[in-house]
Amino acid sequence: MNREIREAFFFILPLGIFVLLLMLLPVIGSFWISLWQDVSFLPRKFAGLGNYFRLLKDFQFWQSAGFTLIFSFASVTLEMVAGTIIALVLNESFRFRGIMRGITLLPWAIPSVIGARIWQLIYRYDYGLANYVLRGTSGLSVNWLGSSGGAFLSLILADSWRTTPFVAIILLAGLQSVPQGLYEQAKIDGANLFQRFFKVTLPVIKPVVIVALIFRTIDALRVFDVIYVITGGGPGGFTTSISLYSYKYFLLGDFSYGSTVSIFLFIIAFTITILYIRAGRFREAAL
Amino acid sequence: MKEERIKRILLTLGIIFVIIFCLLPFVWMVAVSLSKTPDFLVRGDYGFTIKNYLDILRLENLHFLDYLRNSLLVSGIVAVSSATIGALAAYAVSRLSFPGKIVIVLSVLALSMFPQISVVGYLYKFMSNIGWINTYNTLIFPYIAFSLPLAFWILLSYFSQIPREIDEAALVDGANRAQTLFRVILPITLPGFLSAILLLFMFSFNEFLFALMLTTDFRARTVPVGIALFQGLHGELPWGYIMAASAISSVPVILIALFFQRRIVQGLTRGAVKQ
Repeated sequence: MNREIREAFFFILPLGIFVLLLMLLPVIGSFWISLWQDVSFLPRKFAGLGNYFRLLKDFQFWQSAGFTLIFSFASVTLEMVAGTIIALVLNESFRFRGIMRGITLLPWAIPSVIGARIWQLIYRYDYGLANYVLRGTSGLSVNWLGSSGGAFLSLILADSWRTTPFVAIILLAGLQSVPQGLYEQAKIDGANLFQRFFKVTLPVIKPVVIVALIFRTIDALRVFDVIYVITGGGPGGFTTSISLYSYKYFLLGDFSYGSTVSIFLFIIAFTITILYIRAGRFREAAL
Repeated sequence: MKEERIKRILLTLGIIFVIIFCLLPFVWMVAVSLSKTPDFLVRGDYGFTIKNYLDILRLENLHFLDYLRNSLLVSGIVAVSSATIGALAAYAVSRLSFPGKIVIVLSVLALSMFPQISVVGYLYKFMSNIGWINTYNTLIFPYIAFSLPLAFWILLSYFSQIPREIDEAALVDGANRAQTLFRVILPITLPGFLSAILLLFMFSFNEFLFALMLTTDFRARTVPVGIALFQGLHGELPWGYIMAASAISSVPVILIALFFQRRIVQGLTRGAVKQ
């Protein structure tokens, strides 16, 4: 064997072992578990695709799949809009821009559970900040976490708060790669501020927007922490995401059905990843 | 010029929006943590106190300091290990020629999209079988695996920018590959290596699902799980304690974010935008 190939093998080996034993093997293991009937205190027996047929007929599962989809769509849309605004602001030169960039990172930097706890208290019906402000301005109180619409809105806002900084930072990198000459040319051609944004900026940063979009969509489909803390899946199971639905079965000791649900999510995330990689047309030359 | 004025106004509004959007929840967290009761807004009486902070640091049955120590230790070990293992692989991919390189790079990219929930059921059974539930190991090993794609991508982008002549010179001088990496490449890309370590630290410090499933009490439980499971004696959540614990736990990552924002931004964008 060529010496360089052998050296490369040994350099990549540690990463390979970790990934193989703690990512690939567990996914295959989860799939294997999903082929059994494996509930605590009951005898284990092979079920074939039985759990998957159960999944197809499980109304609550489809409800959680629907919720996860709508949640991801709404949440990612909001993040992209807010992220663009923040990126545009940070791309301008003004005093304290460095500090502003640091401030922008904060919601993303702290543990998601802490952010979720803060929002949970903001949404509290009787003495939360949200209703305090609402009562002061309009006299209304919203039952944020007790109604399905309110819970949905609450979760989207809390999740976007946490992830918008990430989107903003990625988009900012895109903005900084826009050649200044293009703006000058557009200005000479008489394009105003908004035309320049839509005609010059957006087309140039499109690839970066797509990267942010894909990363965030897959991340949003896996959502767990924020929902676990803020609503626990309620009210009435309305805000149970796929991850949370799967977790609840693990908690009950039904590992086979919990794994079945999680494999479904894996297939969706993996499909999107493959589509993305194929569309990206990655080449060795790019390394 | 009229357009310049519009731009200035929009920029000012934007700055105000960013500050309120990002900071208001933190202000709320600190305000609640320093108040006698969390319902001070409706009571109209703030009642400043640092009792919440003293309590969570003093009362041993709350175990907050245990959670914090577990989190810091686990995250520190994971950050350094993952960055080192990632550096080895990134070095091979950026420097050595071997077949199937693009497959490795794309596989690592695909791995970074793995939903944690799809492995945690199996991991739980596996860790139970080998008796690792509620130990540091049960978190350290999966965290390293799940953070490796991030480490690999960031370091790959830094290594790719170093001209190959530099390590060729070292090799001519008789250094082997490992020496070239640790004595030549890593010192040059030290800022990149540092930003990778910081991001990996944050990744582990923030992780929730694995810690929730694989730990059972203060001996291995981390801060996020501790804060998520904080329960009062009589059902009512002890908001003062929760917010004081949140504020203290946020300090390390907030300091990292503020002091190293340039590095983190660089690391993040290198990892994501490169492709």
